[in-house]
Amino acid sequence: MSRIQQLSSALRDKKISSEELTIEYVKRTERLNPVLNAYVCTTFAEAIDNARAADKLIAKGEGTLLTGIPMALKDNIATDGLPTTCCSKILQGYRPYYDAAVWQKLKSQGAVLMGKTNMDEFAMGSTSETSVYGAPLNPVNTAHVTGGSSGGSAAAVKADMAVYALGSDTGGSIRQPAAFCGAVGFKPTYGAVSRYGLIAYGSSLDQIGPLTSSVQDAAIVYDAIRGKDVRDQTSLCTPQGETKLTGDVKGLKIGVADEFFEGINPEIKSAIDAAICLYERAGAQVKRISIPALKSALPVYYIIACAEASSNLGRYDGIRYGFRAKDYADIDDMVVKTRTQGFGREVKKRIMLGTYVLSSGYFDAYYKKACLIRQQIISEFKNVFSDCDILIAPAAPVTAFTLGYSGGNPIEMYLSDVCTVPVNIAGLPAVSLPCGKDKQGLPIGMQVIADRLCDGTALSAALFFEKEAGIVIENQGDIK
Amino acid sequence: MSVTEKQLKSFARLARLDFPDSELEAFKGEFEEMIAFCDSINSSVQGDAASIREVGSRRIEWEDLREDVVQQSLPEEKILSNVNGENGYFTVKRVVK
Repeated sequence: MSRIQQLSSALRDKKISSEELTIEYVKRTERLNPVLNAYVCTTFAEAIDNARAADKLIAKGEGTLLTGIPMALKDNIATDGLPTTCCSKILQGYRPYYDAAVWQKLKSQGAVLMGKTNMDEFAMGSTSETSVYGAPLNPVNTAHVTGGSSGGSAAAVKADMAVYALGSDTGGSIRQPAAFCGAVGFKPTYGAVSRYGLIAYGSSLDQIGPLTSSVQDAAIVYDAIRGKDVRDQTSLCTPQGETKLTGDVKGLKIGVADEFFEGINPEIKSAIDAAICLYERAGAQVKRISIPALKSALPVYYIIACAEASSNLGRYDGIRYGFRAKDYADIDDMVVKTRTQGFGREVKKRIMLGTYVLSSGYFDAYYKKACLIRQQIISEFKNVFSDCDILIAPAAPVTAFTLGYSGGNPIEMYLSDVCTVPVNIAGLPAVSLPCGKDKQGLPIGMQVIADRLCDGTALSAALFFEKEAGIVIENQGDIK
Repeated sequence: MSVTEKQLKSFARLARLDFPDSELEAFKGEFEEMIAFCDSINSSVQGDAASIREVGSRRIEWEDLREDVVQQSLPEEKILSNVNGENGYFTVKRVVK
């Protein structure tokens, strides 16, 4: 049984109450969070109240698998009356007056919210170090980053300060931190989960998904948050009923694209190759393929994401919520000073790049061209999936960086997203799960990618590996 | 590709940001690196960009749209709870002189 199934069963069988379970999690979080900085805001009093309400639901036999289970939300998911800051100074003190669609769904099932998790400012980064609250630390080795941008969610799950957490993934922000921390991260098909109440970064790329300690748990949380929502016109109807994972890969056609393996750390390549052998031994057919357009995926991603960000972040003017600069001459001066003082360096850089690629004279050369290459990438993936059920790739070309490493060449940091951004560009579902460790003992992550709306195929194939390789994600109890 | 300080200031004005002269030189270098990185898409497009066929763009299905009926608005006090609003308004410095 998965962690959520075990705890849910214990709650139903009255071996423990949700209140007792939540108190355990509160104690653990109070001990570990000062070291790991995974939560930027804790909601313990509300959590205990929610746990008591969950116990009543369970007693009436009205609970679901997620009723009474302590969990966490990334700090860019709106929670009515609770701080939601995107880990940015510009949203200092902001308390939304509505709940995000995903939180509405989980709350209605009696989920117990422990708090909001740390992240890169506005989800822009690969290490969570651009957070205004300082970086969260990797529970596996605190000298290393958690990855990003959902670094706090990955750390909270890995250190067992939450049974599961939600993150958001624009270019790998769920899958890469899951890989760096040794957790499972699932980015659903674009549109499978409503983005209503997710603070926008790149709207055509953003997707909410779970970080968990097993593939089964990822499927459970995915089932609880997915589905059409009239408040998000890009949301889609997903298959009805629970996502059943067979873990059977006999006859499964697996594509392995060379482009995902260019320039990756040899230890990661070996771990992925060994995983592919396991699939082959179980009767899967492995095909070496090529997706040439992936060579352009990174610049295409940065052009589109920054263009969308420059537009989305235009709303932060200091008038209606958040930070407002103190000394200014007039309203225009107030907006410029608010934005200049409120946004961090990386966010300003991306807004500037987005403004540049959308400006007159550069629009055709950058933004339009990037949108066209995006179509090429989608088309090449479509061809691949006419003959393959899943693709297997690394989740990142490296293992977790040491803290402070991002102070080097910024482009080098962008290159670390090379394995994850193609999935967002094409709107595909992908699971990241641990598949080994490097010489330093840092986790290595593998991605299982499937065609649009074949989320269950990706999860089922990932479950096979988790079982076959005997991957059991141990919670990091002893933090050094 | 190089960018002049004048161009940078113009983009900053469009983005409603300000870079003091002391920061501009360092930012200019990073910005040029980012543009050079983005320029690499030009080498990957075979032939005229306009010749690439658009595929898979999603159309909005009219039946997906909600009925055009008035829905309940958020309460005024909630909307204003994030700022020091006065008399039901967001307040800013006087605009009309």
